[in-house]
Amino acid sequence: MDVFNHLATGFGVAFLPLNLLLVLLGCFIGTLIGSLPGIGPINGVAILLPLAYALGLPPESALILLAGVYYGAEYGGRISSILLNVPGDAGAIMTTLDGYPLSRKGEGGRALALSAISSFTGSMGALLLMVVCAPVLSQFAVKFGPSEYVWLMIFAFTCLATMVGSRPVKTLVGVLIGLVLATVGVDSGSGVLRFTMGIPNFFDGVDFLVVVIGMFAISEIFVLLESWARNDLGVSPLGKSFVTVADLLAVKWVVFRSTIMGFLIGVLPGTGASIASAVAYGTEKRFAEDENEHFGEGDIRGLAAPEAANNASAVGAMVPMLTLGIPGSGTTAILLGALMMFNITPGPLLFEQRPDIAWGLIASMFVGNIALLVMNLPMIGIFVRLLSIRQAYLVPVIAMLTFVGIYSIHGDSFDLFFMVLLGVVGFLLRKLHFSLAPVILGLVLGEVLEVNLRRALSISGGDWSILLDGPITYVMAAATVVAVIAPSLMRSIKMRKLLAKANEVED
Amino acid sequence: MYDRILAGILLVLSGLIVWSALQFDVPFQYEPLGPKAFPIILSILLSIVSVWLIIKPDANNWHPTADIMKKLFAGLVLMVVYAALFKGAGFILATFIVGGAFSWLFGETPKRAALFALVMSVISYFLLTSLLQLNVPSGTWWAGVF
Repeated sequence: MDVFNHLATGFGVAFLPLNLLLVLLGCFIGTLIGSLPGIGPINGVAILLPLAYALGLPPESALILLAGVYYGAEYGGRISSILLNVPGDAGAIMTTLDGYPLSRKGEGGRALALSAISSFTGSMGALLLMVVCAPVLSQFAVKFGPSEYVWLMIFAFTCLATMVGSRPVKTLVGVLIGLVLATVGVDSGSGVLRFTMGIPNFFDGVDFLVVVIGMFAISEIFVLLESWARNDLGVSPLGKSFVTVADLLAVKWVVFRSTIMGFLIGVLPGTGASIASAVAYGTEKRFAEDENEHFGEGDIRGLAAPEAANNASAVGAMVPMLTLGIPGSGTTAILLGALMMFNITPGPLLFEQRPDIAWGLIASMFVGNIALLVMNLPMIGIFVRLLSIRQAYLVPVIAMLTFVGIYSIHGDSFDLFFMVLLGVVGFLLRKLHFSLAPVILGLVLGEVLEVNLRRALSISGGDWSILLDGPITYVMAAATVVAVIAPSLMRSIKMRKLLAKANEVED
Repeated sequence: MYDRILAGILLVLSGLIVWSALQFDVPFQYEPLGPKAFPIILSILLSIVSVWLIIKPDANNWHPTADIMKKLFAGLVLMVVYAALFKGAGFILATFIVGGAFSWLFGETPKRAALFALVMSVISYFLLTSLLQLNVPSGTWWAGVF
């Protein structure tokens, strides 16, 4: 079997002592960052990215470390959600709905253990799906030409706009800001300097790291400043309770369904953990409607579903990133940017040309998830104690890490000022309900989109009809149209159902 | 209201992009599209969504109090100061001052904030330079002094 050969290559990379150490370190740091209230996976990866870059790690090792932080934080996020009712990021909101009531009943230990096992199952299931799907998708994607890539990106942005954020327009604004930022610097096709405003630091483009850190980490400091309150949030006690076999049997189908849903939503470009966990929760709630359900009051199914789904989607989001070079979520957009900094362009050829990176990452995720299960069952007490860390100590450390990280890239104070400026912009955008992930996605994909568009038009000699030429482009154009129409259609059907229900009640 | 202000700024920005893209001096061009077209397409799209946002803005539900504004401004000043001090005053001194101020801003008593910042800056300096071997500034202002 081909797959086993590939996996053997991957485990060969993952079991190198350095990589093994990094995956454990990444998972540990990830859980730690995820469990700190208010700081989610995207901030964790953003803060550590420049450090990983400055350390001079080989690309596969850096990716293994950062990915470990990513899915580690997905595990850690549930700790503050369950015990404090404070989700670390949007993906963990659904976990608070049933997790927090459980911990209020004194069953915090049971809730944490159950969610750890659901997360583990979700990740592992999604990893198996990834091992099967990724090579197939990459072989299919080898046939993609420039026109197909242009459509792929338009499709990704459309999915993002219609499914993520408060309003499609605002997401589009974010994407366009990112795309415009990507055009700054010397144009690779003609050598012309674009929008540099005469500042030498912009000649080779706006630094990806500075944008990521500024927009996410620095704006997070402003958010913490705004929402600051003395950390008197009551940490619910863990209790002596633990998950039982009966609990696990009761949620096995819930976890199974949520894993598949989470994986599929994760694979869709642009849509990440927050949507996956919301859809899984909603679906399970509907499934359980007639039985004796206590969703929202501490139902274990309501806890298992979003946890399995958000971990599965974190894995799923890596599939388009590795096979197509199109990130499936905000955090994978950062990982993609990290790979590009190492001069590696993820895409269909990655699996053939750099199997050590693609399969090494996949294999390391198997190792990492097992490590995370161990960290999250017997060692949970350590992370719980972190919840009481005061922000008075946390914020200075975050500020320090961001400044050191950015300074160590070029050793230039200009980057620091620019980062703070971007932090202010990012904060204002967040306050006006623009999500920032689209900006990063636009920034990462901007150059690829432009290069492919120009390449396509070079082939056709300036004839735009090349964008609709061949069966794959037709399918993708159709998929884009569906992505535009489907959400509003679904909303109207849902509304009609609700209206019908309301009418019944009135009758 | 804030939505409209932002959209207005973006509208002006997209105009500027088109204007400066048209100024590009392209000495040679091998392909039909060239460096101008993509930014112009983007700014046309950006101006369309900006106008849309001006016509249909969200209700403004961000109402920071004077107290919060003061805090946010203090945070901004601290970070600008940090950026200004970082290279010249060196990592340890800059982190001590700004880290201590941040800790104090988040409700720690001045004495304990200073102690925490001192410990944090010294320990992390040695961790970052010796263990991680990062490029951490020791301060150009002191270059002649020591």
